[in-house]
Parts: sequence; C-alpha cells; structure tokens
Amino acid sequence: MTIHVASVGMGRFGKRPEGLITLAAEAANFALEGIGRKPVDLLVVGSMFAQGPHGREALLPRLVGRLGLESASGFRVESSSGTGGMAFHVAALALETGRFERALVIAAEKMTDRSTAEITKELSAALHMSEVAAGATMPGLAAIVTARYLQRYGLSTDICDITAVHARSMAARNPNAHFQKAVTPEEVASSRVVALPLRLLHCSAISDGATAVVLEKGTGPATVLGLGQGFDALRLVDREELTSFTATRVAARVAYEAAHLTRKEVNVVEVHDAFSPFTLMHLEDLGFCGPGEAPKWFREGWVGLDGRLPVNPSGGVVGRGHPIAASGLAAIGEVALQLRGEAGSHAIATRPKVGLAHAVSGIGSHNFVTILGGKSP
Amino acid sequence: MIPGATLELTQCHSCHARFLPTDGPCPKCGSPDCSPYSTSAVGRVLAATELHYPASGWHAPHRLALVEVADAVRVLAIVEGVLPVPGALVEVRRDGDVHRARPEPTQ
Repeated sequence: MTIHVASVGMGRFGKRPEGLITLAAEAANFALEGIGRKPVDLLVVGSMFAQGPHGREALLPRLVGRLGLESASGFRVESSSGTGGMAFHVAALALETGRFERALVIAAEKMTDRSTAEITKELSAALHMSEVAAGATMPGLAAIVTARYLQRYGLSTDICDITAVHARSMAARNPNAHFQKAVTPEEVASSRVVALPLRLLHCSAISDGATAVVLEKGTGPATVLGLGQGFDALRLVDREELTSFTATRVAARVAYEAAHLTRKEVNVVEVHDAFSPFTLMHLEDLGFCGPGEAPKWFREGWVGLDGRLPVNPSGGVVGRGHPIAASGLAAIGEVALQLRGEAGSHAIATRPKVGLAHAVSGIGSHNFVTILGGKSP
Repeated sequence: MIPGATLELTQCHSCHARFLPTDGPCPKCGSPDCSPYSTSAVGRVLAATELHYPASGWHAPHRLALVEVADAVRVLAIVEGVLPVPGALVEVRRDGDVHRARPEPTQ
C-alpha cells in the first residue's frame, strides 16, 4: 500500500490567545482545505498535556465534534515531545492496512497559559523518577549530554551558539515560527544560564501551536518511503552512549532500509533540536556525518538553505517554538512542504526529492524517523 | 574487602549487567534475578552541570554530576561543593532517594 502526504496545515506557533481545541481545529481546517474537503475516515490526534482552561480536555471527542468527523475512526496518542512523530506513524500504518482511505493527523499543545514551573514539572513525566528526585529537569539532563559531547570532541561552547544562530536565522524566514528575529552569537552567549553550558537561547521555548497533515492512498512528491522508530533506556545512566542517541540510530536504520535509500539521497532534513547543540548529535546519528564531525558542517555553512544538506529550514524546534506534541508533526509537515514546493519564503534553494524528519521523545527514549519523497506510481 | 567508603550497586544474574539499583528488574534484559553488591564509592566525573532552574523542591544553583564508578556503572549525583571538572575523582554516597557526590578526600 502506497500512501502520501496530500496536504499540510500549520498555524502560527508562539504565544496564542486561543485554546487547544481552536488551535488544533485551525491547523486541521488548513489541511482539509488543501484537499478540497474530501472525506476523511481516520483521525489520529496527539497531545501531551491536552490542557484546556479547566484542566485536561477530552481532546479527541471534542475535535471530532468541532470538525464534523463523527463517522471517522479515531485514536489519540502520546509520547511527550515525540507525539507528533508517533501520531503520523500510527496513521500511516493504519492506512497501510488498506482499511482506511484518508487520514487526518493533528498534533497540538497549549502551554503559554501556564507558568514555567508548571510546564517544567509536567515535562518531567518524560524523565525517570530517580532523575527528577535528584533535582534534574529536561534542560539539566540535556546540559549533561551537551557537556559530555563538548568535552569528548574538544569543543568550546561557541559551537552551541552557532547552532542556535542557525535555528533562529532559519526561523526568521518562516512566518509560522515562534521567533521571527535572527540572533547573533554574542546574544546567544550572553543570554541567561539555564543549565551550564546551556543558555536560554540554546533552549526551545514554551509555545502554543498545532500542525495537521492529510495522508491518503496514492503517490505524490511527499510519498511515505520509510518509517522507523527506536527505544533507549529511559534513565540516562543506563545508556550505552551519552553523546549519541541509540533510539535515533535504530529508527534511522529501520527507515533507510524500508525506503531502500541511504542518507546520501536525502536532500533536506528536519531534526528535533529541543536544545540547539543536539542538532550536532542528531546529524551524526542519522548518518549524515561521523561522530564529532557535525560541528564542521555548521562552521563550513553546509547546513544552510543552499548548503549540501539544508538542516531545519523551518527553524527547527529552537526557532519554530516547541508546542511539545506538535513539534514532531511540524517537522514532517515542513519536509512535506519542501518536497511539494509549498515552502514559500523558507524553501531551500533547490526543490528536494527526498526529505527526512526526526522526532525525539523526552531525552531520547523513543525516537521516530520519517522519510518522504517522490515515487513513480 | 574494599577499603574506604562503599557504594551499593546491583548485578543481574541473567545477563551479568551491573547497574545502579532500580525499583524494578534489570534495565538491560528485564530479568528479576538481580542482587545487590558493594563496590568502591570513588568514581570519575564524566560531565557536570549547574542548574539555575532545578526541579521543584530544589534551590538554584543546583549542581549535578554524571559519575562513572566501578564496573562502568554510572550515577547521577547531586554535587556537594563546587562544580567538578570532567575527570575529577569524587566519592559517591546514597542519601535516601538520591545520590550525592563530593570531592574525594585527599590522603
């Protein structure tokens, strides 16, 4: 069964006055308009918090009602920051059974109506309890991973700043990104410390936002070529590797094998940079370069819109904003837009034929790789 | 007999993995056939951080270190004192639900 992304719907990420259901419905309606409102018989929705003004919402039935999809089948999935990737994979696998014709996938998060302390506590659900007991947070563990990477390859923190500058320069071209202004390395290096060596501008922001895509039978420029997922130990201390994510390496291997492709055929990539220096490890884990080689790719400018491998043309998680569940689907949506020639002001220099999107759950415990591209019918 | 302070770790009798005690089975193979053993409490810092926004209940700056102790077992420990540099030797001890690390006492 061959399936493809027929339409992408993205609202603006950032601080939005609307609630979760409205944000999700907005993205969904953009995606449905893109297919001329043809009927949908499967709905897959992802949200980590499913947070409404009065607490957790019955997200799936409320959205079904709002969108008039009562005759469809529906599923809700959750995998922290990897939720959007998981939602897409569930929908694609369901369509591959032949039981459904067309799926609407939505991933949404409402965050800015809550305090940073509340969000930090909620996000700790993606960590091991012993880590939270020791006072660790997601940025705290990311800082340990980053510090180890810098030390292992003899790097200074300026490479972290360069990755953040890249993210923000890409985001400045994307009208739906949270951050519309580029930053200098000096601004990044002088932003306040979150967890050494990570500073504020290395970290993704609390954002509201939603993404939707329509998947249907058939082929197109964004045909699903390969899906892969991988797990790693939840607890950082139980992992074999600290400067590389096993879950990404496994997911990439499975996806490349399914697509019968190698990384050399990938023309554009969206990686899950919840912390900007993680972009380095992700490029290495996805096979684009060897261990410790990714900093050179940034220093040489090979990751720009006209580089040998444009990386995160949407701005990535750091530039686009991080409505937790939506980020993984936004990465897939961005790759589909690039492949379909619909990326507008953030299109890469040469329209790509194959693209790869990456999603990370927690600190890398369950990661997803999605390869899309053109395929002859 | 191990001289000096000791730290309790767990060994799996199925896959022979050695790891920091958990409340569940072996994190490598899932076997429940595990038992505790004692080893030297001295370890080497792999990486450390200073959190300016630690988890609820902790005060900033909160320092954490990832420490490798015997048998390549790693421990996430709360640092007592200044932030250690990678490679520094520390003594790790269990304190209720958490582990704490301090510079190894000099001879």
